Amino acid sequence: MNNSTTFSSRCLITAGILLLAVTGCQKEFLDRKPLGQLTYDTFFENGQQATEATNAVYNQLRQWDCIAFPWITCTDIISDDADKGSTPTDALYVLEVDDFTFDGTNSSFSGVWRGYYRVISRANLAILRIPDVPDMDPILQKRLIGECKFLRAYSYLLLVQWFGDVPIITEPLGGDSYYNQVRDNQSAVYDQIERDLLDAIDALPEKAQYASSNLGRASKGAARGMLAKLYMVKKDFPKAEEQCLAIINSNQYSLLTKYSDNFLRVGENGAESIFEVQAAALQPNDGVIGPGATPYNMIQGVRGVPNLGWGFNRPSDNFVASFENGDPRREATVIYVGEVLPDGATIVQDNPEIINERYNQKAWVPAHSGLQDNGPGNIRLLRYSDILLLAAEALNENNKPTEALMYLNLVRKRARGTNNFILPDVAITDQAMLREKIYKERRVELGMEQQRWFDLVRWGRAAEKMQAVGKNFVAGKHELLPVPQAEIDLTAGALKQNPGY
Amino acid sequence: MKNVILILVSIMTITSGFAQVRVNGLVTDKQDGTPLIGVTIREKSGAGGGISDIDGRYIVSVAGSESVLVFSYTGYATQEIALNGRTELNVSMGEDANLLDQVVVVGYGTQRKSDLTGAVGSVKSKDIERIATGSVAQALQGKIAGVYVTPNSGEPGQGAIIRIRGTGTLNNANPIYVIDGMITYDASFVNPQDVASIEVLKDASACAIYGARGANGVVLITTKTGQKRENAVISLNTYYGTQQVTKRIDLLNASEFAQAYNELTNTAYYPDPNALGEGTDWQGEIFRKAPMGNVQLSVNGGTDRFNYNISANYFNQSGILKNSEYERVTLRLNNDFKVNKWLTIGNNLAYSNSKAQLAPGVVTSAYRMPPVFAPKDSLGNFSDPTSPFGLAIANPAADLFYKSNNHNKADRFFGTIYGEIKFLKNFTFKSNFGFDLNSSNEKQFTPIFQVSPSQLNTSDQLWRRFGQGRDWIWEQTVTYDQTWDKHRVTVLAGYTADERTYESFGAGRSGFPGNADELLYLDAGNDTTQVNYGSAHDEALISYLFRTNYTLMDRYLLTVSMRVDQSSRFAADNRTGVFPSASLGWNAGQESFIENLGVVDRLKFRVSYGILGNQNSIRNRYYPSLGVITSRLYYVFGPDEALNQGATLISIGNPDLVWETARQTDIGMEMGFFNNRLSAEIDWYNRYTYDIIAPVPIPDYVGSNEDPIVNTAQVRNRGWDITLNWRQAGRFAWNLGAILSPVSNEVVALNDQKSEILAAFLQGEPATRTVVGEPIGSFYGYKVIGVFDSADEAAGAPRIGNETAGDLQFADLNNDGKIDALDRTNLGSPIPTLTYGFNAGFEVAGFDFAADLLGVTGNKVYNAKKSFRFSVYNWEKSSYTDRWTPTNTAGSVPRITNGGTNYRVSDYFIEDGSFIRLRSMVLGYTLPTALMQRAKINKLRFYVSGNNLWTSQQYSGYSPEFGNDGTPYEVGFDNGGYPIAKSWQFGLEMTF
Repeated sequence: MNNSTTFSSRCLITAGILLLAVTGCQKEFLDRKPLGQLTYDTFFENGQQATEATNAVYNQLRQWDCIAFPWITCTDIISDDADKGSTPTDALYVLEVDDFTFDGTNSSFSGVWRGYYRVISRANLAILRIPDVPDMDPILQKRLIGECKFLRAYSYLLLVQWFGDVPIITEPLGGDSYYNQVRDNQSAVYDQIERDLLDAIDALPEKAQYASSNLGRASKGAARGMLAKLYMVKKDFPKAEEQCLAIINSNQYSLLTKYSDNFLRVGENGAESIFEVQAAALQPNDGVIGPGATPYNMIQGVRGVPNLGWGFNRPSDNFVASFENGDPRREATVIYVGEVLPDGATIVQDNPEIINERYNQKAWVPAHSGLQDNGPGNIRLLRYSDILLLAAEALNENNKPTEALMYLNLVRKRARGTNNFILPDVAITDQAMLREKIYKERRVELGMEQQRWFDLVRWGRAAEKMQAVGKNFVAGKHELLPVPQAEIDLTAGALKQNPGY
Repeated sequence: MKNVILILVSIMTITSGFAQVRVNGLVTDKQDGTPLIGVTIREKSGAGGGISDIDGRYIVSVAGSESVLVFSYTGYATQEIALNGRTELNVSMGEDANLLDQVVVVGYGTQRKSDLTGAVGSVKSKDIERIATGSVAQALQGKIAGVYVTPNSGEPGQGAIIRIRGTGTLNNANPIYVIDGMITYDASFVNPQDVASIEVLKDASACAIYGARGANGVVLITTKTGQKRENAVISLNTYYGTQQVTKRIDLLNASEFAQAYNELTNTAYYPDPNALGEGTDWQGEIFRKAPMGNVQLSVNGGTDRFNYNISANYFNQSGILKNSEYERVTLRLNNDFKVNKWLTIGNNLAYSNSKAQLAPGVVTSAYRMPPVFAPKDSLGNFSDPTSPFGLAIANPAADLFYKSNNHNKADRFFGTIYGEIKFLKNFTFKSNFGFDLNSSNEKQFTPIFQVSPSQLNTSDQLWRRFGQGRDWIWEQTVTYDQTWDKHRVTVLAGYTADERTYESFGAGRSGFPGNADELLYLDAGNDTTQVNYGSAHDEALISYLFRTNYTLMDRYLLTVSMRVDQSSRFAADNRTGVFPSASLGWNAGQESFIENLGVVDRLKFRVSYGILGNQNSIRNRYYPSLGVITSRLYYVFGPDEALNQGATLISIGNPDLVWETARQTDIGMEMGFFNNRLSAEIDWYNRYTYDIIAPVPIPDYVGSNEDPIVNTAQVRNRGWDITLNWRQAGRFAWNLGAILSPVSNEVVALNDQKSEILAAFLQGEPATRTVVGEPIGSFYGYKVIGVFDSADEAAGAPRIGNETAGDLQFADLNNDGKIDALDRTNLGSPIPTLTYGFNAGFEVAGFDFAADLLGVTGNKVYNAKKSFRFSVYNWEKSSYTDRWTPTNTAGSVPRITNGGTNYRVSDYFIEDGSFIRLRSMVLGYTLPTALMQRAKINKLRFYVSGNNLWTSQQYSGYSPEFGNDGTPYEVGFDNGGYPIAKSWQFGLEMTF
């Protein structure tokens, strides 16, 4: 008994000591940090991380919502440049947009809304935190902030053109402001875009000033180009003219000799390129989507033989008919059945399931090593010829027809190449007639490059042109897309719908 | 009982070598003295045996006058009586008291059922073994009141979702599993035939000892341990059977599809639909009759000091979907060893090794695939359905052919090792170390193939994925047990530490020289294509626990318990949760004034209240208080297209997160009548969960890739658990039972500024709304009032778009002359209001029979597979038979469409989810003991059994049950998963 008591006491003491020992290191035991991941508090510690945060903003640009179905639907397919494409019954919700029978629940609209607000959110975080990164190279610091502001402004520029008034969010939102945002006045959105772009112009180097390994980052010229677009939307033609001429006079850009080269591998980030979404067909990481690619090429690729994709975004009859006789840009923009593809080898076979089969040649890429949805083609968001035509348009509006003609004819001259029987120089100086010439030139020069819808709306011609091709376009309503119904629902109506929806 | 055996064993050692002796006697019922007919009498260690006759008399020949006779009778306590020289032996047998007052396992200990003050449901091995399944959770279905079990899917090797007393949270509502003391979230590795009992802890009193993890209830699984006996029992249990899909979905055949497609496109695309006939039955192409089999071999025995149970099990199940296979080997070793007077050590160790082949998700594509296609075209190539029907459609036969090289192997080593020290007479110290090592090894190869522009693979790919989890718990508990005269006290105090880590990595290559299995190792691929990745997470919990049970005069019962948990999941300031509970019980049946009434044999009242935590609700969020930076958001720059790393905040952290807690009140009553033949247990509970942690949908303008998690809501589950049983002992023993669990689920508050949570977005529209006063995740959308007969009728009615003749007409609920978002309304709840089960069984003349029925009512199902149409898919017959056509303008369902307003979220897609199912049925025959003993076999039983043989359901899909482990506001959607099977088995059970 005595022995047992002693033993028991020893047990108790041992247990007690064990307990105390374990309790002692309890705090350490319970403080867990994510494994293999940084946290909000441990990120933005150096220039490398600041760069990664900026790269993540670019990364969002090549996600599905930003450049795939929602993007192509809300730019080309909605316009008179293109029809839905593919087989007649495939993806009917896209057809709803093509036909203007949609409402606020169509996923195309929530797609672009979500996609570009994610760009904005990632940019907001970087813009907030990069200034406080310790011991950072101030030149890099300034440039990265400039890049993020450019990307944020670009996103707002798209959103304001699609939806009109949109909530301006310039800082990461906290939990108490998730649901109570309201739509800010369109002019306030314009002001926000202008501020960001002016900062970006100040902060960013010219394209040629970037190290080669950084080719593809937003440059001063890109920021000026977006600012010029903003001013065109605002019809502030003097300021638009100023920005366009600044780009032209920067001598950073020139037209490629051959128009069609713009859309081949050789044209990526070429002399004519001002801003592109960068893509490469790399091996997939985990699952299907490659780490550097986009589905842009697949969605618009030839559907059938050779099998390059899904065949959406079919150049419309109206668009094909808008080219002047012999304009080589038509052949560079549209793939027809029987055509030899730019790889020089393959011929497009007829697919009997597709009516009036055509494809967007500007989205064409040759067969590549990645998976089909691992498209390697850069997406040309801003080309120098676009700026030349904006310059022409602004100069004409500013009553400088001679200068306007100079830039317009530069574009036509390049398009014509060595064939002097086509695309003669324009010589009209009457403002209204010249305007028509410029508008027409924009359409054929930039066809299937996701510009047309924005141009039509800013020219006030959307209703006329849409109705002309038989779409159910209601003037005064359809110039703006409906705010996604889910956003209105989630904010319990704090976000108001656009008129007519 | 054990003592009896002990004495007998010692007697046995001195009895041997006597001549044959005849023994006779009378067997009577202890209760009323009537003779018992058919009692089995067996000589314990000899060949003698017999059965009592119609007068209760028996005569047996035994080896000697010192033999021991064993009297057994269904429903009665088995007796072993030494002859001690007698040749006449009269026996009176009593009903098995164990049936009435069994010991049940509770958290960190056991308790007599009569002493329980909490609500605990218990199932014994006999009822678990009967269901032919590899999953313990599936075996629980319909067995315990208040426990609602939904199979995850019919995929072999899959478990089930368990809901105890309703859905108490907006997020993960799964209970925890405690297997021989080790806590886990996944009990899929447990071999049901190793299970001795399953206890489900339902109320706060029972669960509080599990504190932060107890709010969704606790499932305690106790595996079989060795029993002290003279001869080890060797058991063989095997069954073999076949399974098939419970029902088919009624889809259009080829000619009907062609007709529908012509109507859709308003063309004569198919000039003569009727000529196409039946076409391909795609469900027939993917489903099959599949075998399943099981062999269990176990040895169970023990001595005074050492007990053991060793088992080996092989389970093999082919899936009813082609190319899905599962096999599992389980080994178990349960030992306990009395080292000396004060020290006992023991272990419960299980090793399981499983291999699965995963079929591609073709159940949905078979549902969608137009029947006008043959699996292969005339050239022998897989048919391309995308022309003209659209890209979002894949040929299931091709997927089965190309995408089935997907294998998953898993090893799991799981168990506990403990030491128990008795000291100072009334104290027991126990140190229990539980561990769970699990590893998975996946191999997936997809060859190059092309069926269509959207169903293809342009480079061959081999993926390998390895994962390893290492979980351990170390528990120290001290128990103090004291009995004085009328008082019985048990005090438990303990300290536990718990750590869980998981790490995985994967790698892939393409460019393999061939597709042969022996070549499919990474090194054979092209090394310039190699990619790899890896990730990890961990968590820790430290807990203090305390419990006191006090019993006065066996009548007045009190339990008080408390657990303090500290979790790594929360920020340091919000880390600690305190979870107390208290309960009272009164065995009123033992009061003389009740006993004297002579009406009830047993009567007990219980009441409990407690607070529990639900850490489980953030099961997959290990660091929810921290904003986590996600990397691999790559972008390419430069002429060489170099991949640049990108990283940003994707998971928004919430440092203010606090424990989600549930307050639960339970009032219970247990009764026994007619010599306890009729027993009833009735509980009323009110379970109120507050500070519910859940992700909430936020507007897209926030720009977050993930929804944030917040403490967002309060939910109440209130209901009844009712269990009724009639148990009749005797030669014809039978039992009937019923469980009934009505429950009402209601959201009481949403803490945030938001008045509603809209979720389950289908094509841009929310399909559920969670709002105060309604069940969680109620369906939400437009109400259909009919189909427009004519374009004129449509034009004159409120519309949402351009509805015309043959389109659905939605109700203008706010009477504003138009249909818009304001006309959406609650369309029913996916949560059943009543779950119930019935069981019946009998045993007579060696035959045994048992059957279980289970059912649910009051729940709705959203037929989401019918509402998704990204391309032209096949239609359900219900969309066709009475559709609107220009010649059938009175049609009750809309014209053939493939998009547009008819596919808006509406009650057109909502169906009744009620069902009643014959969950299991088994008929067995045990060969007479006397016969078998000559063959040295203790017991030999054959049986046939069936699972899910009959179901009555309104729902048009395979089954209204789909185990959705997502958030509770996204349950009840049938997206077309792997259906459950019905099966037949033939089995054999033998012990030596």
